[in-house]
Amino acid sequence: MIVCVAVVGHQNNPLYIQSFTEADDALKLHHIVHCSLDVVDERVNNPKRSGPMLNETFLGLLYPIENFKVYGYLTNTKVKFILVTTDLDVKDADVRNFFRRFHAAYVDAVSNPFHVPGKKITSRTFAERVSTIVKSFGFSSAG
Amino acid sequence: MEEYPEELRTPPVTLASLVGCPELHTLISTHFLTAQPPINTLALPDVSKIIHLFNNKTDPDPTATSPSPIVPGIFKRDWLLKHRTKFPSLLGALFPSHHLTGDPAQWLQLCSDLDSIKAVIRGRNIKFAVVVVVDNNAAEISEDRMIALRKRAEVDAKYVIVLDPNDTANLKVSLQRLASTFTELALAYYREEGRRIKQRIEKKNVNSVELIVRYCFKVAVYAEFRSDWTEALKFYEEAYHTLREIVGVTTRLPAVQRLVEIKTISEHLHFKISTLLLHSGKVAEAVSWFRQHKNAYKRLVGAPEGVFLHWEWMSRQFLVFGELLETSSKITQGSSPIGLSTSSKPMSEWEYYPAYYYQLAAHYLSEKRSALELTISMSETSNENDSVVESVVPSVYMGQFARLLEEGDNVDMLPLSDEEYICYAVSEGKRFRDSLEIIALLKKAYESYSSVKILRMSSFCGFQMAREYFAEGDISNAKQVFDTIASLYRKEGWVTLLWDVLGYLRECSRKNGAIKDFVEYSLEMAALPVSSDTGVQRDTGPAGPANLLQREIVHNEVFELVSGASGLATNEHQSNLKISRDESLQLEVDLVSPLRLVMLASVAFHEQTIKPGTSTLITVSLLSHLPLTVEIDGLEIQFNQSNCNFFITNGQKSRSVEVSDGIQHRRTETATSLSLESNKWLRLTYDIQTDQSGKLECLSVIAKIGSHLSICCRAESPASLDSLPLWTLEDCVQTVPIKDPILVLSGLKSTQVEEQDPQVDLHLGVSSPALVGEVFLVPVTLVSKGHDVYSGELKINLVDVKGGGLFSPRDNEPYALDSHHVQLIGISGPEGEDDSHLDSDKIKKIQQSFGLISVPIIKNGDSWSCKLEIKWHRPKPIMLYVSLGYSPYSNELNIQTVHVHKNLQIEGHNAIVLNHHYLMPFRRDPLLLSKNKQASESNHSESLPLNQKNVLIVSAKNCTELPLRLKSMCIEVEDDAERTCSIQHGSEELANPPLLVPGEVFKKVFSVSSNMNISKLSLGTLCLKWRRDLGIEEQCASTSTLSWVLTKKKLPDVNVELPPLIVSFECPPYAVVGDPFTYYIRISNQTQLLQEIKYSLGDAQSFVLSGYHNDTVYVLPKSEHILSYKLVPLVSGIQQLPKFSMTSVRYSAAYQPSNSSNSVFIFPSKPIFKAAISTNSRLESVVNE
Repeated sequence: MIVCVAVVGHQNNPLYIQSFTEADDALKLHHIVHCSLDVVDERVNNPKRSGPMLNETFLGLLYPIENFKVYGYLTNTKVKFILVTTDLDVKDADVRNFFRRFHAAYVDAVSNPFHVPGKKITSRTFAERVSTIVKSFGFSSAG
Repeated sequence: MEEYPEELRTPPVTLASLVGCPELHTLISTHFLTAQPPINTLALPDVSKIIHLFNNKTDPDPTATSPSPIVPGIFKRDWLLKHRTKFPSLLGALFPSHHLTGDPAQWLQLCSDLDSIKAVIRGRNIKFAVVVVVDNNAAEISEDRMIALRKRAEVDAKYVIVLDPNDTANLKVSLQRLASTFTELALAYYREEGRRIKQRIEKKNVNSVELIVRYCFKVAVYAEFRSDWTEALKFYEEAYHTLREIVGVTTRLPAVQRLVEIKTISEHLHFKISTLLLHSGKVAEAVSWFRQHKNAYKRLVGAPEGVFLHWEWMSRQFLVFGELLETSSKITQGSSPIGLSTSSKPMSEWEYYPAYYYQLAAHYLSEKRSALELTISMSETSNENDSVVESVVPSVYMGQFARLLEEGDNVDMLPLSDEEYICYAVSEGKRFRDSLEIIALLKKAYESYSSVKILRMSSFCGFQMAREYFAEGDISNAKQVFDTIASLYRKEGWVTLLWDVLGYLRECSRKNGAIKDFVEYSLEMAALPVSSDTGVQRDTGPAGPANLLQREIVHNEVFELVSGASGLATNEHQSNLKISRDESLQLEVDLVSPLRLVMLASVAFHEQTIKPGTSTLITVSLLSHLPLTVEIDGLEIQFNQSNCNFFITNGQKSRSVEVSDGIQHRRTETATSLSLESNKWLRLTYDIQTDQSGKLECLSVIAKIGSHLSICCRAESPASLDSLPLWTLEDCVQTVPIKDPILVLSGLKSTQVEEQDPQVDLHLGVSSPALVGEVFLVPVTLVSKGHDVYSGELKINLVDVKGGGLFSPRDNEPYALDSHHVQLIGISGPEGEDDSHLDSDKIKKIQQSFGLISVPIIKNGDSWSCKLEIKWHRPKPIMLYVSLGYSPYSNELNIQTVHVHKNLQIEGHNAIVLNHHYLMPFRRDPLLLSKNKQASESNHSESLPLNQKNVLIVSAKNCTELPLRLKSMCIEVEDDAERTCSIQHGSEELANPPLLVPGEVFKKVFSVSSNMNISKLSLGTLCLKWRRDLGIEEQCASTSTLSWVLTKKKLPDVNVELPPLIVSFECPPYAVVGDPFTYYIRISNQTQLLQEIKYSLGDAQSFVLSGYHNDTVYVLPKSEHILSYKLVPLVSGIQQLPKFSMTSVRYSAAYQPSNSSNSVFIFPSKPIFKAAISTNSRLESVVNE
């Protein structure tokens, strides 16, 4: 189950962060997303370590913590997408697929002429779309 | 890691036992310890002690012989220790040699000792070796005795070792041999033991899984004794996996204790495996092993009341592995983990940081704490188990506990029930303060992350750590850490996290009673952009949920506090936060302060420059992001010119701000409303004026709220207004501080106050162009028209119009020596004032192109003048800049100066152009051979005949537009040069200086002759003295005081040569029609050679002539030939004489006289001349035209 998704801007500032959990750990998820930026930074700054992942937007598993796994995605405009899941056994393909759809939703949201680049994403449509994508995460391994 | 027993943490070392000859034990055991591999020794003084060592063989592992389904434990707690310290792998018996060679009683004793040793070790498979210690003066041991000994001891020959401690030379070698023999025996023992147990596993008839685990463990330990790490690892892993299988299977113990035992065993096995992996450098494998281990046991939580045991265990796993990783990374430094993607599951590089494990260890420890607390709260009622708890001790089996029952001397171990065990564990858990442990772990992680610049992770650890500190009541530590991490969250705009941290900080300052901090944190919280609900509702810190409502609550709370509202008394939390009556609280808001969100002041002058004394508008705009409207009582605007400061009071509040008497004279404005709404600019526009020139800058705006709080905002310019750090990310409308769209982009918080308009006229009176060489005077006049002039200074600058500079060092003109083409020579004071007087007390600084003089005090209406003396060395236009700086007030303190600038372009012209040319005397022509040659080569160097009188005509042309007067013209010869010629002319001085009108030419004739036999003749320098004609003042000006300008021109050198022939004509100055005269032509041969001359004389219509027309004559050396013709003129007027031409054969030179020399004037009749001969001496100087 996906518990949190986030869009993080150039200055590592949160543009959109939404948790999908009934538990009380929303703040903790914020912390986890924030910490994962360190891993993204390290991946980006030391590309040789990540080897074959060079030039790929999908950063893969960033780090496991407690009961969560954190995945990352870096767009060409250096906007980061972070995914926090509680599933212990996640297929890479699923995550990739998720990010692809999430990216499309993000692109649509920022293409809105009323959206100012660099500002937080407050579009309700985007939020609805994201929650749909999140809900379909576990089930739609095929597509 | 330290909680593990020593024997587990270090690799096992072979244990050997020595018996007999106690005096040698120290020597041998010391050597064994340093041997490679080392051997621990168990020294027994004599054989009788052996029995004590091995007498506890009461339980020779009954399961081994008769496998029963019920196994009490997996392995015994002290098994490893026993094998490391008590059970030697071999026994070395030391016998002195005289026992062998001495009397039979000793031999018998030896034999009985051997027998008893053999009896002891037989069942245990312990290896045996005999060491014969050679005595000092012992006899040689016979071969028979040795064989007998060997047989008696039942050992191989190589295990009977002879050691001679007195043979110091060979002692070391023999000790080494002893060590290697012992090592060999020990290896054999451990191998055999290992194999024996391995056979039990392989037989597969062991129906208890616990036993398999035990056997695997033992095999691995024996392998470790042999340093066979690979096998050790293999069997540890085997044991580990087997153990994992029995988790759900075994029912041997009560459930909780069963799990505890299994986890304890697996923990130990895991520790061994990790250590072995890390020691062999397989970091990646160790990490993935750990992950496997963690995942395998993560879900084995166990019974709900024992959950805390699970979390404690988990925490310990992480901690221990983190420590192992850290120590191993210290050993193998620099070898970064590579090959991440080797395993099927990609690993994160994060799993290589020890800090990651510490962080998680802390996390699980906090889980344990909360679980423990829950358990304690549930079991609080039952205290009856206290007596049980006190008697619980660890049982013989690892991971098991038992109740110790003492009844007199009888000690009994009773098994525990799960309830009793939980009780015991809870009471054990109560003894530890977990939070200290958690803080220590988090601190480790925090520092570890910080040291590798992983700031966000370290901030997270820091946050958790500070939260623990906070919970522990260690406020100062908590605040310090919170402050550090708050700055990161501020920088990156993580508002929710910042909100939470600030909430803690606010509570910290509340507890510390730091009221200023409290107000600052509260205001910052209230101004944070958390408008919408971010989903953080529960489990919040003291900050409360991050939403607008909470912001308003914080806002109200802080403003109630600062306004001194009495609501504080009801709130017991704020008991230590109070503002006393006369205490004031000033908050500073600068450009980097987080409180910029709370209040931001933008100040703009409407004009960029203003005149002193005139007023301009200034707009002060304030912006606040506080959620509720703030009512400001008063504003103080501060400038760098403090007399411009003013107050703005709130019109709605009647005299709430008392202006103290000291500053009563300050300007106070009243605004109708000073309420600062959320996210809306409060704009106030006032006029402002200053008398002081320079920069006028608004420094700060101080807002007074209530009687205690004032917020001092650094003024910011709208043009360079930095956006607010956090709010720019919000999706809200951006507003501008000023409505004027131009001022928004260009408005500045400072304006330039210009200086006053000058009220002094500066005149530069120049009418005519300057002439090169003269001292040109430029009159400067200052006329005061309204200002007095104090401490005035006049600056003069000469600048080349073309920009090329007045300086040309490469010029090799004669006056290039003084390097400036135009020079400021001096400044003469006004008429009647002496120059020297000006010098004495005033600044006067003159350089080539720059001058600075001071101007005396000029009262209003007065004037002052001076003259600039400028000299041109070259014709050049220049720009003259004159600027006057003065102060209109005599007050020294008022340093404002007023400046007047004037500039003027002045052309510099050449006044006189000098020319010269040479002539021979009339009708006398020498043959100059070089001249003929030069004609073809077009070389213009002049040539003069030697020993002849030559005429030099110098002409001076006035090329100005002014009349000039000449004083003298002469040729000066350089002093040092040899005088090579004589120059004759009239008197140098021209008695009455002639006037030279523009365009006129003055000529002077010099006669030059040289009789020296040289080829070059240097004539000297032509000097001309002149000045401007003063016009009508000419008469009155006394000639002596007038300065004359000297213009010099160097005459070029001329060549001198001896002419071979000179032709001269003699003819009367005039003739009369019909009156005959004689025309002589003299050809003078100056050479030593005979000259053949061909000549001819043409006919002329105006004359009748007699004589040869053509002939050839020979002129003798150094002599003269004269041709004479008689001529009768026929026509009056100027007439050409008959044309004469001649050719010198020797020089192939032809000659024809020029027209002018060949003409004569013919009067029609004899003229009558008046005898009026001019009396003046101006015969030689002819003024032409």
